[in-house]
Amino acid sequence: MSIDLTFVAQIIVFVTMVAVLWKLLYGPLNDLMEARAKKIAEGLAAAEAGLEARAEAEAEIARLLDDARAKAHEIIAAAEHRANEINEEAVTKARQEAEGILDAAREEVRAEVNRARQELRKEVAAVALLAAEKVIESELDAARHGKLIDSIVEKGFGAA
Amino acid sequence: MAEHGQSGGIAEHLQYWTVSFDDGNPFMQLHMDTMILTLLIAAGMIGFAAWLRGRLVSGVPSGVQNFMESVIEFINQTVRDNFPTRNPLIAPLALTIFLFIFLCNSLDILPAYLMHHIAGLFGLHSFRQVPTNDLNLPVAMALSVFVLVLYYEFKLKPAHFVKELLFQPFAALLLDAKNPLVKLIGVLLIPLNLVLKLIEELAKPLSLSFRLFGNMFAGEVIFLLIASLLLVGELEGLMTAGGVVSEFFGLLVGLGWSLFHMFIGLLQAFIFMILSVVYLSIAHQPAEH
Repeated sequence: MSIDLTFVAQIIVFVTMVAVLWKLLYGPLNDLMEARAKKIAEGLAAAEAGLEARAEAEAEIARLLDDARAKAHEIIAAAEHRANEINEEAVTKARQEAEGILDAAREEVRAEVNRARQELRKEVAAVALLAAEKVIESELDAARHGKLIDSIVEKGFGAA
Repeated sequence: MAEHGQSGGIAEHLQYWTVSFDDGNPFMQLHMDTMILTLLIAAGMIGFAAWLRGRLVSGVPSGVQNFMESVIEFINQTVRDNFPTRNPLIAPLALTIFLFIFLCNSLDILPAYLMHHIAGLFGLHSFRQVPTNDLNLPVAMALSVFVLVLYYEFKLKPAHFVKELLFQPFAALLLDAKNPLVKLIGVLLIPLNLVLKLIEELAKPLSLSFRLFGNMFAGEVIFLLIASLLLVGELEGLMTAGGVVSEFFGLLVGLGWSLFHMFIGLLQAFIFMILSVVYLSIAHQPAEH
């Protein structure tokens, strides 16, 4: 058990081994492991990003579906509203037209009634004059007593 | 060698195969057994590294590459856990220390007298089969690590290191005292600080190397003791009842100790590596103000 030249030789052996094993064993293997770890980390990051993108896409799809659904509801509501308006417009228009027709008919009836009254009045007056002529013979002058008879007939029809 | 032969089997087996370049100077000699085995292990490791380098695949690793990646990941994790900054030298250094010491320690699994007897066939009187049992190897590795620690101490925080050398552990007396007499005592204590600090620093490589050497040396001695005490020496003795019982117990105890000692070898390799990383890590710690 002594320290001798073996000690110096062992230092040389040891230092040489550190250098050579670093170059031949540790270096290549460590580089390979680091490259693989980096690749795996990138793959995991890409997978994570893919999952996030998928989640975002699903959220976007859900949002778009909600928007589309809301829009569809709006369109349906607007269409129903418009249909109601059209319906109401049609009903109103029909009602107005019917009322117009009714008014025209009433007006026509009223005109016809008036015309009939006028004719009847004239005929009654003529009949009355004729009857009066027959009764009192020449005592009545048609020109002189015509107005009087007309007013009487008028009063008589006005009461009717 | 005659003296070793007379002193008994164990002492004889604890001799190195030594080649001396200057008989008058005990430093000028080489332990050829240690050198041959370490060079064989080093060549094996380098050959293995070169072989594996040509078979590396960047995809899913399998077999040997998978195993080596596990070892390197374990080393990297150990360094990451202990190191405050990134230094690309530390992990390869730790890997070399761990693998080299573990392989050297693993030679202890060979039968206790095997190498000695094989060497005897070639006319050699001694051959130690575990290089880490030779103090030269642990000291060489520990000193290399220690030189690296000193290098980083001086490179990263020179003022702090010199201050620690001169003012620790009695810095309070020197720096904080208002009494001029106490300050004077503090100044006078600087040489003592220096001595204590040098002892503290030198204890690191000493403890590092002697821990490995002591464990492996004791393990080998116990192997030799088991072999010497339980095995019968004569061929005729093997046929006797006592010889069979002795062989059986020798095998049992030897096997148990072999398994335990393999674990010790692995543990010592790990301890040497982790302490080297920790010492280097301390050298990289930022200086406290």
